[in-house]
Amino acid sequence: MVDTVKVGILFSCTGPYAAIGRDCRDGAALAFDEAAQKSGGAISFEPVYTDPEGEPRAYLEQARAMLRDAGCRHIIGTITSLARKEVIPLIEKHDGLLWYICPYEGFEANENVIYTGTCPNQHLMPLFEHLLPRQGRRVFLLGANYVWGWEMNRIARDLLRDAGGEVVGERYLPIEETDVERLIADIQSRRPDFILNNLIGPSSHAFLRAYKALGDADPAFRPEVRPVVSCDLTEAEIGEIGLGLSTGHLSVASYFGTLATPENERFRARAAAAFGPGRRLSSFVEGAYVAVHMLMDAVRSAGSDEPAAVRSAIHASLFETPHGPMRIDPRTNHAALPFHLGRIRDDGDFDIIASRPAIAADPYMTASRDGGRSSLRVVS
Amino acid sequence: MTAIPDLVGRRTVILHRPDENTQRLVRQLGLLGLDAHVQWAPLDLEATPADIVLVDADQGWSGLLPWSGEPAPVPLVALLQSEAPGRVAWAISEGALAILPKPVVPAAVYPALVLAVTAHTRATEVAVRMERLEERLRMRPLVHAAVRAIEMAVRCDEEAAYAVLRRAAMKRRITIEQTAAEMLAGVIPLSEAG
Repeated sequence: MVDTVKVGILFSCTGPYAAIGRDCRDGAALAFDEAAQKSGGAISFEPVYTDPEGEPRAYLEQARAMLRDAGCRHIIGTITSLARKEVIPLIEKHDGLLWYICPYEGFEANENVIYTGTCPNQHLMPLFEHLLPRQGRRVFLLGANYVWGWEMNRIARDLLRDAGGEVVGERYLPIEETDVERLIADIQSRRPDFILNNLIGPSSHAFLRAYKALGDADPAFRPEVRPVVSCDLTEAEIGEIGLGLSTGHLSVASYFGTLATPENERFRARAAAAFGPGRRLSSFVEGAYVAVHMLMDAVRSAGSDEPAAVRSAIHASLFETPHGPMRIDPRTNHAALPFHLGRIRDDGDFDIIASRPAIAADPYMTASRDGGRSSLRVVS
Repeated sequence: MTAIPDLVGRRTVILHRPDENTQRLVRQLGLLGLDAHVQWAPLDLEATPADIVLVDADQGWSGLLPWSGEPAPVPLVALLQSEAPGRVAWAISEGALAILPKPVVPAAVYPALVLAVTAHTRATEVAVRMERLEERLRMRPLVHAAVRAIEMAVRCDEEAAYAVLRRAAMKRRITIEQTAAEMLAGVIPLSEAG
């Protein structure tokens, strides 16, 4: 007799950030397919896919249906912090486990959530440590008019203050706002050393396209002079911006498809067999793929999908992933993750220009604030 | 924008019977970089120094906190499940500046601490400012007396006399009230023209 464990897969594959959701869902599906092909074992896994289409209320309704009606005790999903915060109370009520795989702004460590995406001490802090000494300290902050943009820029202001840097401008746009003319004019007059882009979705894409036009007209705004730097821009969205339009700009991730390791070679081969050879692999594809395998491993080793047992199994294990071995900290439920800085290429993939090995997550940034100024050491 | 206080390294004392709530609280405080000490006995701040105190407002009694009746010397957060008005009133009278509902939800801990610490800092600043203003108010008659004395000594009008007093105060970097007191006591000569 085989026990079937149902796993909710909750990503928006339509709506303003659909490209990210599709990568997440595809990564999850790849892992489930791999498990299904390996016959035997006492437990089989069945994904339950839904699409909330970017609507907060739909996240709530679909998560409730997964937990209450479909018998899922684990949900892998949500992309925005808004959706995650929406779903967490339900997860707590049903004593389930949410697997959150996206980079986010930190300041959360819920016992019912496993965090395998990066938080600021894993993306923004090492980014500034690398970039400020090389690129300059006069920074223009751009943000989505929403918690990601607000918090990322708040942390950026603090880091710049401690590093003797300067915020030369700060602007916010709604996620779906694509009128970026004033913003471009502002950047043109203030001439920052680089632009920290915490816009998301269509407004981010529109900005990068408009900035390309600015750079074409005025070489002082070409990416090698004044790059746009993001902490969440991946291979998933480069096609949406338009191939070649964001070339030369930078982004941080714990995984890039071009990562040259034997583990990633194997992953790329499997992904190519499943999706075709042209598919660019992002940290979202990889993150969802890793989360599903981690969940399946933990359920098998715990012999049950009971969340407390699964959590203990996760805390006790070291997982092999395409980005290298990964551990979950029992204190924070966050993954230790490597830092990679990538430069966008014409073909929509990234050249990795700087890396650091796995950094333990510090979601409340206690180490950095504890150390005060010493936290922004230059690492070369 | 309001500056967020840095909580890292602050010592917290939780006055509550050890249970699941205190366990969750200690874990979350650890994540926030704070030391936590749990006890269910009256607090002695000398034996157990604390920068922030969290108290069980459901079961707390007067005398549990050492400052009963006085303004709380440290930020106080009330741990509260009850809706009974008397318990809320007890928390307020002990000086609670934020409420953390029970059962404790980890996500509620950080905002409650930040609120309590910020409110306590502000309350302390206001108290200091008020004390200073009250002091000045008490000394106001001295200023009038000094102005009159200057008017007579240098034969000028009230406005000019006040200007003399003010210059003397600025020169010494002390308050006008203090200058007035010193002039009347003869420490500063009345005829001093600044």
